[in-house]
Amino acid sequence: MSHRFAFYPGCVSKGFCPELYESFVRVAAEFDIEVEELKDVGCSGAGLIPAEISDPINARTLAKAEAMGLSLLTICSTCQGVIGGSALRLTDPAYRARINREHLADQGLEYQGTTDVKHFLWALVEDVGLDVVQSKIKRPLDGLGFSPFYGCYLRRPIDVIQRPERKLYLEQVTEALGGTNVDISGKGKCCGFPSLTANEENAFAMTAKHLGEAVSKGADAMVVPCPLCHLEMDGEQSEVEKATGRQFDLPILHLPQIVGLAIGLDPKELGLSRHMASTKKFVAQLQPVGSLVGAGS
Amino acid sequence: MEITFKFQRGGTRAQPEYVDYQIDVPPEMTVFDALVAVRETQDGTLAFRGNCSVGFCGDCTLSVNGAQKVTCLINVGKTQKEGVITVQPIRYAPVEKDVMHDMRKFLWDKVDVFARGVVPNGGHPVTDEELRPVRKAMRCTTCGLCDEGCTVIDVNLDFYGPAALTKLYRFAFDPRDGITSERLREGSEVHGIWDCVHCWEATEHCPFGLEPTHLIMDTRDRAVAHGIKSGYGNKMLERHYDAFEESISRKGWLDERSVALQTYGGLIKGGIKTLPLGLRALRKGKATLKPHYKRPGAEHIRKIFDRYNRDNAGLRKEKQR
Repeated sequence: MSHRFAFYPGCVSKGFCPELYESFVRVAAEFDIEVEELKDVGCSGAGLIPAEISDPINARTLAKAEAMGLSLLTICSTCQGVIGGSALRLTDPAYRARINREHLADQGLEYQGTTDVKHFLWALVEDVGLDVVQSKIKRPLDGLGFSPFYGCYLRRPIDVIQRPERKLYLEQVTEALGGTNVDISGKGKCCGFPSLTANEENAFAMTAKHLGEAVSKGADAMVVPCPLCHLEMDGEQSEVEKATGRQFDLPILHLPQIVGLAIGLDPKELGLSRHMASTKKFVAQLQPVGSLVGAGS
Repeated sequence: MEITFKFQRGGTRAQPEYVDYQIDVPPEMTVFDALVAVRETQDGTLAFRGNCSVGFCGDCTLSVNGAQKVTCLINVGKTQKEGVITVQPIRYAPVEKDVMHDMRKFLWDKVDVFARGVVPNGGHPVTDEELRPVRKAMRCTTCGLCDEGCTVIDVNLDFYGPAALTKLYRFAFDPRDGITSERLREGSEVHGIWDCVHCWEATEHCPFGLEPTHLIMDTRDRAVAHGIKSGYGNKMLERHYDAFEESISRKGWLDERSVALQTYGGLIKGGIKTLPLGLRALRKGKATLKPHYKRPGAEHIRKIFDRYNRDNAGLRKEKQR
């Protein structure tokens, strides 16, 4: 069964995290996720741009998906949370009417308030189904420990994420792929990225805390559903090491990458060699494709 | 019902030293009242805070069975697990004795910074409708549970935190207040609104549904409308916002390369700062030199920014005065 979505990749997956975009496209095809990429829509605002600006921008995006009769699929938790927040505010008919009138009408657009905004993690569990994911495993991740790191926007606020069970999907996915969860206390906390320009010391303290806990508990890698968390945990890892005098060497994987590895795709094709924190040691631990039979295959 | 209170009387959070107290109380009795009963009947030296016992003063906040609670709002019957209630201090507040927190250091001193009363603007009396936006913030009891959940306070106790910033909101946006712009500048000082990472923990932790994270985000939005992107001359913070806005309003989306360069001080200064990491990223194929193209329909995004800037031109002039 195919699953169709209007696709909102977000700026970062087409910027400093190209490996996220490419690994997602590759993995989506394996699970019959058909995406129609929206190219004429704006940045969500990322929580920095005032809602008075980002709500109309996001209403425009939501209206375009709605006109296609599709849900909006994201691969970035921040886009998910910010557009989801706008969508929630736009359920207020009076507010929606004002945004339509002031910002969308002149483009012949009108948002009716019906678009569902869905992160790839949610689509994988709710639309594809973990049984289907398991049936495609060609390289179970047995023996490898993963620290799931949600960050903020896939955990809160509850009226935006809508279903409390979504707070546990990341662990369910890694377990379905054969991996072992290495739980860390800050898995639903901030990675530090939003504080990089305001207060770098705070940002690095947060990052160091999460990386340190994952390493001390024996994680082989961390899994993130957000490219901004990736920029922080992976991109800034060496800076955090310099600032704190600690050594982490922890590979940080995007969600589609870990799924792709388990279904037998090539690590290089999934962009693992493009990370700033080396993934070499981790890749060497992977079993050859087809060497073991996974739980669902 | 028979309850055993495991009451922390020393040690650390990781290695607490408990003293057990058994007491027979009705299940509907509040945890706070049950603790008072233990103190009155068994051990007068037990130290914990509490005052109004009706959920108004926010003084009796404690960690109960590992979760943070206003103890006069929960009852013994629903809280006990197999007849046991474990009582510890909340995580980030310094402890004076047993589970008695130093609330001044943790919370009250910070709240006081923003508690200067309304400076009349001559516009009152106001209608109920006009007061509605700040009514939520007015209901804050400063119980401190939002600060207890705060991701930033977790790493830096100097952050003002959501409770104090809720107090800022309460006065800054009171329709009778005449010094909104000044308050927003105070709130934008170091450890203020711009250090919030909008993780939504505060909103999740507030036992009264006041949504403190939403209030901080709203405060930031309004600070931007007043032209305030840093209250303490943090040029990087100001440049970051401006670069972000410029990129989206010109191209429709974010061009990280130009935003990074501008944030760190322009082509030369920013180039030097971002060069080592940038070169490594280029070598790994993580970054390319190709700038982001202008998105189709970018002119519609531009119009949204233009309208916003036009609508808020008056507020920005107020800042310059």
